[in-house]
Amino acid sequence: MPAASLEELTALVFGILRNEILSTGSDFSTRSNLVEAGLDSLAVTQLLLSIEESTGIWLDESLLTPEHLDCAETLAALVHQRIAEG
Amino acid sequence: MDNLPHVPLTGADCFLRAFDDEIRRTAAASHVSQLVLRLGPGFDVERLRKLIDQVARAQPIVRAPISRRFGVGVPVYRLAAASRCAPPPIRVIDVDGPPVPDAQLPDRFAGLLNEPLSARRGHLLRFDVVRYAGGALGTDLAVSWLHMLFDGSGSETFVDWLDACFRGASRPEELPCPDELAPPARSDETLRERGDRAMVWQRWLDGFGAQRPHSLAGPLRRTRQALHYARLRLPLEQSARCIEAAKQRAGFLTPTLFYLAAAIRAHHAVFRARGVDPGSYVVPLAVNLRPKGAAKAMFRTHVSLVWFQALPKQVEDFDALIGALKQQRLAAIKAGQVENAVAAMDFARFAPSRLYAHMARRIFRGELCSFFFAFTGDFLPGLDHFLGAEIRDGFHVAPVPPSPGSCVAVSVRGGRLAATHAYQAGVFSERELEIFRAQLQSDLQG
Repeated sequence: MPAASLEELTALVFGILRNEILSTGSDFSTRSNLVEAGLDSLAVTQLLLSIEESTGIWLDESLLTPEHLDCAETLAALVHQRIAEG
Repeated sequence: MDNLPHVPLTGADCFLRAFDDEIRRTAAASHVSQLVLRLGPGFDVERLRKLIDQVARAQPIVRAPISRRFGVGVPVYRLAAASRCAPPPIRVIDVDGPPVPDAQLPDRFAGLLNEPLSARRGHLLRFDVVRYAGGALGTDLAVSWLHMLFDGSGSETFVDWLDACFRGASRPEELPCPDELAPPARSDETLRERGDRAMVWQRWLDGFGAQRPHSLAGPLRRTRQALHYARLRLPLEQSARCIEAAKQRAGFLTPTLFYLAAAIRAHHAVFRARGVDPGSYVVPLAVNLRPKGAAKAMFRTHVSLVWFQALPKQVEDFDALIGALKQQRLAAIKAGQVENAVAAMDFARFAPSRLYAHMARRIFRGELCSFFFAFTGDFLPGLDHFLGAEIRDGFHVAPVPPSPGSCVAVSVRGGRLAATHAYQAGVFSERELEIFRAQLQSDLQG
């Protein structure tokens, strides 16, 4: 994937969450808490696989902290950082 | 409810039904799971009676006979026939004096795991109450059920919901997840695609057979089920350290694998003491499959199975074992084995129970796996009282057939971590139980 902006990555992560992983209502936003929205360990792994498919970047689960999974924006920021690190 | 006279069992329900049938045929018991609450004074048993009567009328699934319509197809809960079955029984024993210490509680409740229930007759659930000094000094409550009625998560939701009904926050007619009795939505995959998935899953399991497991009980044989259990409960401070260590060493998303690794090593210590080759350790782990937004679905089991395999040489190093389990989990999810298992179990619903159990044991020549394992996380988080009495402690006792004959269930209540080890009488000697417990305790305490 060509270098993507943080906004593009946020939209990507948000789209995967909304369309593939979570059954969310119209109030679900890029700042909604993911655990409260129903994200569990299986869903996180499925999310990481979808991110890898779209970006080519595999985020090792050991890199994740509760803060990264706070919302779509924080997770996208981690992906952005990993891409920047090459 | 009238328009839903038959509710199909899920694939996981049928997996459990096959073993319930096997246990009934070969061990004169049932596949009964148990949830135990240790309560303070003030428990209202008459209110429980009234409540369960109301629940049985409003939710016929709790006493619905399970069978195949006209003897074929997917087994169903026959809701329309439920009214002919008695409500779940509540048995009360009055005991003078204070509550028994934790270590003696299994002597009172373990035998209930061996008292048969009957899916065919709608005997799916029962309650056993032990009142100390008429309840003035406390009450112990065992909720026992045929494992296909609830999974661990569902049973906690059930208890939580009963209390909500007691407090007036819910009603017996009002399920926490309103549409949970609707038949499962059809997958958008074609039958052929589902069949391919099932085949992939089957080949995956066949691959474990190259180094097949030996359980401590040995392959299935005809013997009366005689389950007992013991609990290892860590003090608060040690629990906090253990819970933190599990997150650090296995990842904060998958602490389960830390506890699974500890359970494998506890079994390995017994094999080593016996001087017997375990082959490999093969263990299934249930994965909660409730769709997001249906987290409160109570009835039926909503799980898939991920299988793990560890060779004896991998078991010696705790962290290397955890690492191997993490890799296997990721590889299984990547390969779609969670979904593949669902497809396979859905197909197997059509197989007669006897054939199903035979197929499951065929791969490992009579063995099903090395042992059973479950990590259910926080036990009834947020629920401090049940029907007016303080909850002093609570835990699950997960069932296990006479083969593999050993099951470890880990949960946390009030910040204290507890491992409940259920086992078939005769599988462990007293000395082996000590070895098992010492190894488990050592690994949990770091």
